[in-house]
Amino acid sequence: MALIESKLRAPRRRAEVVRRARLEQRIDREGLPSLALVSAPAGFGKTTLLMEWLAEAPAGRVAWLSLDRRDSDPSLFWAYVVAALRKVDPDLGRQALATLQATPNSLDDIVGSLLNDLSALDADVVLVLDDYHLVESLAVQESMQLLLAHQPAQLHLVVASRADPPWPLAGLRARGELVEVRAADLRFTPDEATAYLNGAMGLDLASSDVDSLEGRTEGWVAALQLAALSLQGRDDPSAFIAEFAGDDRFVVDYLADEVLDRQTSDIRTFLLETSILTRLSADLCAAVTGRSDARAVLETLERSNLFVVALDDQRRWYRYHHLFGEVLRARLAREQPDRVADLHRRASSWFETEGDRPEAIRHAVIAQDFDRAADLVELGLPDLRLTRQDATQREWLEALPRAVLANRPMLLHGLVGAHLVTGDMHGVEALLDEIDGLLDNPPAAGLIVHDHEEFRRLPARNAMHRAGLSLLRGDIDATIHHGSRAGRLTEPDDHMGQGAAAALVGLARWTTGDLEPACRQYESARASFEDAEMWADILGVSLGLADMQFALGRLRAAEQTLTAALDLATTHGPLRGTADMHVGLAELHLERNELDAAAEHLRSSLALGEQMGLGQHAYRWRVVDARLRSIEGDHATALRLLREAEQRYNTDFSPPVRPVTATIARVLIASGDLAGAERWADAAGVDPGDEAGYLREYEHLTLARLLLATGRPAEATTLLHRLAAAAEAGGRHGSMIEAHLLLALAHEAGGDRGRALDVLAHAVTQAEPERFVRMFLDAGAPMTTLLQAAVRQDRTADLASALLAAATAAKPMPAPQGLVDELSSRELDVLRLLRSELTGPEIAAELVVSINTVRTHTKNIFMKLGVTNRRSAVRRADELGL
Amino acid sequence: MQYEIVIDGHLGPRWAAWFEGFAITGEAEGTTVLRGFVVDQAALHGLLQRLRDLGIPLISLTPAEDPTTEGPAPHDETNGS
Repeated sequence: MALIESKLRAPRRRAEVVRRARLEQRIDREGLPSLALVSAPAGFGKTTLLMEWLAEAPAGRVAWLSLDRRDSDPSLFWAYVVAALRKVDPDLGRQALATLQATPNSLDDIVGSLLNDLSALDADVVLVLDDYHLVESLAVQESMQLLLAHQPAQLHLVVASRADPPWPLAGLRARGELVEVRAADLRFTPDEATAYLNGAMGLDLASSDVDSLEGRTEGWVAALQLAALSLQGRDDPSAFIAEFAGDDRFVVDYLADEVLDRQTSDIRTFLLETSILTRLSADLCAAVTGRSDARAVLETLERSNLFVVALDDQRRWYRYHHLFGEVLRARLAREQPDRVADLHRRASSWFETEGDRPEAIRHAVIAQDFDRAADLVELGLPDLRLTRQDATQREWLEALPRAVLANRPMLLHGLVGAHLVTGDMHGVEALLDEIDGLLDNPPAAGLIVHDHEEFRRLPARNAMHRAGLSLLRGDIDATIHHGSRAGRLTEPDDHMGQGAAAALVGLARWTTGDLEPACRQYESARASFEDAEMWADILGVSLGLADMQFALGRLRAAEQTLTAALDLATTHGPLRGTADMHVGLAELHLERNELDAAAEHLRSSLALGEQMGLGQHAYRWRVVDARLRSIEGDHATALRLLREAEQRYNTDFSPPVRPVTATIARVLIASGDLAGAERWADAAGVDPGDEAGYLREYEHLTLARLLLATGRPAEATTLLHRLAAAAEAGGRHGSMIEAHLLLALAHEAGGDRGRALDVLAHAVTQAEPERFVRMFLDAGAPMTTLLQAAVRQDRTADLASALLAAATAAKPMPAPQGLVDELSSRELDVLRLLRSELTGPEIAAELVVSINTVRTHTKNIFMKLGVTNRRSAVRRADELGL
Repeated sequence: MQYEIVIDGHLGPRWAAWFEGFAITGEAEGTTVLRGFVVDQAALHGLLQRLRDLGIPLISLTPAEDPTTEGPAPHDETNGS
């Protein structure tokens, strides 16, 4: 993204500035505060004050940003802020920059990483935002509010604005963290006015005249400046001032007229004609005014202090003082309304030739030269898409009258994109129909197309949009239909398009459980993205592919997928999604019971930080961490992590086949909290009689584990037969193995050891090639017993011995260290009496409470201890030492 | 929507062009009244911003009933929502 350098530099200090100690001291005395705000209308000297303040600031630690209207686009705004900070310290904002380039709309992440960098600084930094009122978008305001809410001590904000920003100023004021300078403060006092008029401006006014001026202008410095200009070279300043003081016209109106009328008509014309420009250069002014002496005029203006400010040291670019520019524009609109459009048109041409398309478009739109603007917008869209300036894209397209778009399919296409990105689905389908309509039946006058390369791809892009819409609506058939069509319509060398289409169709197939075709689509997408060199997208696709390979029981293939992606990230990184690759590998190692390797990858992912993760990352790493802790017996921490994961559960479009709630249930079962697991089953709505299918398979297998733990082997058996059959039909080997091992336990619990061993042998044989281990170990003590029997009878292959070794070598899962819910003192009283031989009514009598109270307490005790009867409660209490 | 905006200071009628064709009338007490029609809230805020950018103090803003003109909602030419 090309940034305008002059915005990142403070303006040059002007010679005739009056130093105002009383204002400067606001900063000197206490050092820079968290926020210094200068809030006043135009022409009060805000920028000048900022520069006086910063003259005292530590050298080289000031990041300056002059804002303009276009910075309302959040991706532009933050690009500039980051650039400004990096000029102070190149180590700042590396991460933010990477995020800006990858996903410029992740504002929270950008702000978050900036805050982290700033908190780690040794030396303070000052960020100056000049003309903050020009930033109007809600997105930018919200991200700034986030910055303020977490502002580290090392960051000092200095902001100049014509309106109070929508920030919690009252709070900052109350805490003494705000230094505020307002219009009343900025008004020149009579002494200051004297210093300015007679000192800096070299006039020789009587003090009564100075007072008159100061009174009439109310110390408004822009008005004082205009007055000074009107007074230069006048024979009778007092007369002029008296007349001025006696007039009640709006001060700036009166004085600006005076100043302008004193200029030669030559200069006056120049001023008016160039007033339409936000930035002036000699070349540009020449183009707009048609004069060859533009440079000389500009230099004259600057020398005469006629409200022209040089923006750089080479004197290439200038701008008018804001207030003066407004007055000029108003006068132009009044005197020569017909010329305005033409002037803008000339400016637009010049900017187009210079290659500054955004400015060219802006001027064309103001000139209402919409055809020209439309052409420029069409040519400018690809750049905007690349840099994800979505807000700007939408703004440009909506500035054009709808009629102008009617025969410009590329602009309609841009409008679709703009709607989708901002989540506005309304009207998208109508636009797609309109575009297809134009392609199928072009109007007699023809279509207007400038971007021919993209135009060729339009049918394919349209199909992709329809596929995307269908997916959002949950219409899988339509998704596959349009996605496949998009794939066919896409040119073979349009790798990005090919990849996107394949990924979308793959996702649709994954959702319906057709894992083999889905994998092939994802592999094809990955290959296309490699050709297109879209590294970040490869990571996303790899994660999904690995998940599916895992489900198909191909652990080695999944490992290869993730490792290859990780290599890519190392070569082309840093890439978002790297953290996910590590988590995926951790999950694989965990399944093989390679706990050290799993922990290692988890650590790597955490070291990268959550910003290097994709949508699912926040919950997935927590699940892996939780499972590792659960294996060590720390169920309390495991559950805490899982609850956090539950809140962050986000499958990022992929099918929700492993809900965290089910994983929580598994940990509860392992820790003996069967009541808790039962509650999950109720809430999740899983029932042993359910039909078996891919989407709820994990949950059903969890239910089967629960049935076994609660002593219902017969129900478990029926369910598991169905699950095994469905898994086999779908090629989901992992689930098949799990179903079979649980079936073995069911048979054992039902008293049929022979059958149990048969089924177990089958399961172990299937688990051997890819080394599925964890699912056996998670079945706990009953599995260990069965494995011992199997090994004794020499019934199975090496894996069984290995499993047994692992099971017995593993730290025995100790009883949970404490209760998740402590027993109340009253409940402890009841528990004490439960140990005795007293009956319920006798206990009630002993404690002097009603029998109902005792029953309530007893129920709670059972729930908290995870038991269902009195004897178990007593035993459990002994185990826990209650 | 019809509005009446009162500002501090005298702004001559010739500023009407800059303020969307509003009628501009100076009042005796040193204020000026702008009367006119805006299409919608966005247009109103655009007008207010022009006042702000000139540093003109705003005193009041009131909706006005104008029985003589039946302002038809102008045909919205743009895409904007």
